[in-house]
Amino acid sequence: MSRPGFVLTVDERTPPLLMHSGESFKLQQFPLGTRVVYPPESLPGLPDLDEAIEHALLQPLDSEPLPALLRAGMKLTIAFDDLSLPLPPMKKPDIRQRILEHVLQHAADAGVDDVELIVATALHRRMTAAEIKAVVGERVFRSFWPDLLYNFDAEDRANLAHLGTTDTGEDVEISKRAAESDLLVYVNVNLVAMDGGWKSTAIGLASYNSLRHHHNAHTMIHSRSFMDPRHSELHSSAWRMGRLINEHVKVFQIETTLNNDAFPSQYGFLTKREWEWSLKDQALFIGAKHGLDILPAKQRRKIFQSMEAPYAVTGVNAGAVEPVHHATLEKVHQQQLVEVNGQTDVLVMGLPYLCPYNVNSVMNPILAACLGLGYLFNMYRGKPLVREGGVLIIDHPVPWEFSTLHHPSYVDFFDEVLAESTDPKVIGPKFEQQYATDPWYTHLYRTSHAYHGVHPFYMWYWCAHALDHLGQVIWVGGDRRAVARMGMRTASTFADALELARDTVGSSPTITYQHAPPHILSDVR
Amino acid sequence: MSLSSEVRQMARAWRWTRRPLPPKSAEPHHTFPEPREFPTEWARSKPARVAREAILRGGLTPLVNRETAIEIDGLDIFDDLDGPVIIVANHTSHLDTALLLTTLPTKWQRRVTVGAAADYFFDAWWRAIGSALVFATFPIERHGQGLSDTPAKLLEDGWSIVMFPEGTRSPDGWTRRFRPGASALAKAHGVPIVPVGISGSYAAMPRGRNWPKPGRPPIQVRYGRPIRPLEDENTLALNGRVADAIGALLDEAKTDWYTAQRRAAAGETPPSSGPAVASWRRVWESSAGPELTADRPKAWR
Amino acid sequence: MISALEVYRSLPRYVAARAIGPRVPGLLAGPLAPLRLVHRDGPRSPGNGWVRVRPRLSGICGSDLATLSGHTSLYFTPLVSMPFVPGHEVVGETRDDAPGIPAGSRVVIDPVLGCEARGLTPCEACARGQNNRCDRITVGHLSPGLQTGYCRDTGGGWSGELVAHVSQLHVVPDDLADNRAVLIEPLACAVHIARRAALHDGGSALVVGAGAVGLFTALALRELTPAGHVTVVAKHQRQADLARKFGATDVVSPSEVATAVRRSTRALRLEPERGPAYLLGGVDVAIDAVGSRGSVDTALRTVRAGGRVVLGGVPGDGIDLTPAWFRELDIAGAYASAGDAFEVATRLAATAPLDDLIGVAYPLSRWREALDHAHDAGRLGTLKVAFDLRSAA
Repeated sequence: MSRPGFVLTVDERTPPLLMHSGESFKLQQFPLGTRVVYPPESLPGLPDLDEAIEHALLQPLDSEPLPALLRAGMKLTIAFDDLSLPLPPMKKPDIRQRILEHVLQHAADAGVDDVELIVATALHRRMTAAEIKAVVGERVFRSFWPDLLYNFDAEDRANLAHLGTTDTGEDVEISKRAAESDLLVYVNVNLVAMDGGWKSTAIGLASYNSLRHHHNAHTMIHSRSFMDPRHSELHSSAWRMGRLINEHVKVFQIETTLNNDAFPSQYGFLTKREWEWSLKDQALFIGAKHGLDILPAKQRRKIFQSMEAPYAVTGVNAGAVEPVHHATLEKVHQQQLVEVNGQTDVLVMGLPYLCPYNVNSVMNPILAACLGLGYLFNMYRGKPLVREGGVLIIDHPVPWEFSTLHHPSYVDFFDEVLAESTDPKVIGPKFEQQYATDPWYTHLYRTSHAYHGVHPFYMWYWCAHALDHLGQVIWVGGDRRAVARMGMRTASTFADALELARDTVGSSPTITYQHAPPHILSDVR
Repeated sequence: MSLSSEVRQMARAWRWTRRPLPPKSAEPHHTFPEPREFPTEWARSKPARVAREAILRGGLTPLVNRETAIEIDGLDIFDDLDGPVIIVANHTSHLDTALLLTTLPTKWQRRVTVGAAADYFFDAWWRAIGSALVFATFPIERHGQGLSDTPAKLLEDGWSIVMFPEGTRSPDGWTRRFRPGASALAKAHGVPIVPVGISGSYAAMPRGRNWPKPGRPPIQVRYGRPIRPLEDENTLALNGRVADAIGALLDEAKTDWYTAQRRAAAGETPPSSGPAVASWRRVWESSAGPELTADRPKAWR
Repeated sequence: MISALEVYRSLPRYVAARAIGPRVPGLLAGPLAPLRLVHRDGPRSPGNGWVRVRPRLSGICGSDLATLSGHTSLYFTPLVSMPFVPGHEVVGETRDDAPGIPAGSRVVIDPVLGCEARGLTPCEACARGQNNRCDRITVGHLSPGLQTGYCRDTGGGWSGELVAHVSQLHVVPDDLADNRAVLIEPLACAVHIARRAALHDGGSALVVGAGAVGLFTALALRELTPAGHVTVVAKHQRQADLARKFGATDVVSPSEVATAVRRSTRALRLEPERGPAYLLGGVDVAIDAVGSRGSVDTALRTVRAGGRVVLGGVPGDGIDLTPAWFRELDIAGAYASAGDAFEVATRLAATAPLDDLIGVAYPLSRWREALDHAHDAGRLGTLKVAFDLRSAA
């Protein structure tokens, strides 16, 4: 039986606690009285996944069974989440492969000839053939690649369809193929609470023209948080758009949830509670940490990027988008929700080596900021874990390092835009348009494996709520120049960071350490 | 942090060589790990057996004989036995194990193991290793549900087992309730039980002492006739017969063989659990110790 | 008797300086320098129209250093006459009367030795006022020498006295301090470079290099041309600060040039299999103000098709001219100065924020320190190192 998450109070008996720090990890001793939020232990996976998938397809929520929706001569489009999910990438077979195979079997049985599969990349980078193959599996890949299985292209004007505007005037422009299909099946991986629902289709298959309505500083400041769809302006907008899409095309949504088994067994100590570490865990930690630390950076990155998570699937739901997503969120909460009493003055987090946008790539400073201030800060329901005007201490080396293959516009964003201002509300109006329409970025997005020119802005908008809410952000062990460029401060040790924090929160602040990953959604009362 | 300082930090934080201790606030969420049975096969290996025999012969037996005056009775019963038995005795002192091991005939001494409380003898590695080596102990969970499969395996391998069914040393020298574990084992495997009555070890070295009293206190170790489980007998009944047999053996120490037999036949054996009187009187009486058979020649002492 | 630093012919030093100099720059100002301090009579006047000038401050130019370290193209060998006294960035005092310039006037020298100075009938270029394009720089009554500071007969700025033709003299206004006046010559070159850039209204320019030439070029572009976006490539912090002060829109480090230019001009970027990235699209005019292979490459690779590359320094060898052909570039040299550049430069010297630009002025006797400093000027936060000859008089 998996134990629930809980809040630990650091006492004299508490060993130093594990903390991620980019492509390394460390043991950090916390001051007595520090609260530590631990995620629930992994839920057991579904005993028979194939049966669960079939059950979901044949008894969907608020929808006819999938076979009843399929007929010969129809136009079927299947879209699925890209490699930003799940993190780390899942050990094969990927859940998307399992589901795609079931859906395609039904389609084959029904005699559907016109089938296309679209990776819902939105403005993310195109996945490589190998990456797609890893997600969809050999059979699907062999049958459809490359003409009928492809990355979505948000800059391919000829293949976008403008479906109209919502009541509040937001353009809805998505993949033409998807919009003009008789049935659009979406296969998702709902790793965290912000994924899925109408976000899948209304964002995953949308163009810049459509995304700009919610991917901006204003919306993000009012998404409190975007991990809590009911209180997220971002999701409200996506839902409005989704309902409009629903008027044009029948959407059959298949959502899946995973447990917390995010690390392979030799890194089991990463998901174990420290005081329960056996001697073996301790030896593995020492071996892994020091072994990795002495490796050349390239090899180290390779080892980290080749980690595959032995995730188990905890739920498969299919049918109409909204009821499906409701059921999905329940599962996500069951796995990630932890009740926390009251906010804290100082929130501490250690960033791991991976965020949704650097799979097989480099975590550049903007992505590090987005992971900390965007994702992890927003992993709450109710109130943020840290009080308004509080301090966020993040452990990460923030190397001044960019992948010119994947993040070309990030380099310029960092050099030009952040050098001028770090305020999301300022940089948006001044620079966004220029980056969004830069022909070079567009070219790289469409033909290479680059994120769209405007993507670094989105990363920075993701931080908007945190930047607005926090009094100070301190990076432990960060590259001074890079952190200064982002308008934040560095400290060489955690103790120094606490010292710096005194300016903002006084000499005896309450401290809370968010012991993630795996994911925790704090339910702050 | 350098490797060595990190290892030092870990050694301190994780209390190496000591008990694990979860943070206080984590206790409600802590599942204490299922204790693994301490491995004792090695103690029954050839080199350990040789070492044990050397220790018993060269160390323990002379020591016990020097510190106490032992009278052994009924060893002839082993003449008619082969194959494993379960040796069951009352338990009043840490001396008891040593007494049994040193008094057994050599052939049996080499193939006997002692069931010892896992929570006491096997909770620290040094004590576990020591007792397993010297006394050939194996762990018995006294609070758990039933026995592990270790004793069964031992019997199958031809090892005899010493068990103290009271589960712990008596606080006042009188017997306590006999638990049915040993009887159940005997019944399940069809092996005879050899009852043993040990008198005087309480007087010689009660709870709280870790060395026998000076002056060679007298001790009697009486082996009784083996008790074989009957076809139609349940475990409790067998357990009762064993308890009665030990009671009679203890009675014999106080009286004589014939009196004890007669009282047993008449069902008049005084209960080995002692009289229902104030506890000081119970302690008082049992700390007196048995009298040695008087007519033993002085030269034998 | 005057003191003078003299460059003499020494093949071993030349070879050694070329070979070892780049790796052990300290030697360039030490045993490897084909330079010596001599005491002797001042140069004799070559004839009418020549006056003696006693230098007050005399700058050390990048081309002087290149000469000393053996990195000047052998193309120049027939254009100089050994031994010569270097120094062509000079502010000094005249010692003889000249028409309109009484003895004792403070002057700066236009170093180009054209037809007039050589006592010749002006050639076509000189007749148009473009002395720097003079064809007769090896003939006439002077030894060969393209400039004062490269000619055996005239002496040079790194000495107590030189001779200059009256046509070379430009009187310095009284209220212009020496340490600004000594910058007039390099400023005049920058003015010339800026003019050669021929920028159209709002045109974008890239200046590669932020030594004196680069920075003054940025200044001249801003002051004299309708340039729009001016990007300066600067290696060091002080250079970057000055570039901004002189009017650069954008200052970037050498490693970021392609990225930054691509961004500001929304060009497309290509990565060849070897060698630096280049752009399709780019700035209207790229100006090389360093004179190395790398800097010219940068300029050629970041200019738009049909754009112009101005060579403000003596280009190094081994430059890949493919972009010039493929992108149909105009390549414009900019040597010394012409026309009214000195007048314009004098005006700039008076108004531009040039204080503190002369970092250190050394007496001649400490020439090794001076050269060593000049070799490393950028890193040491110095823009210009000069010899101070005022006390020597």
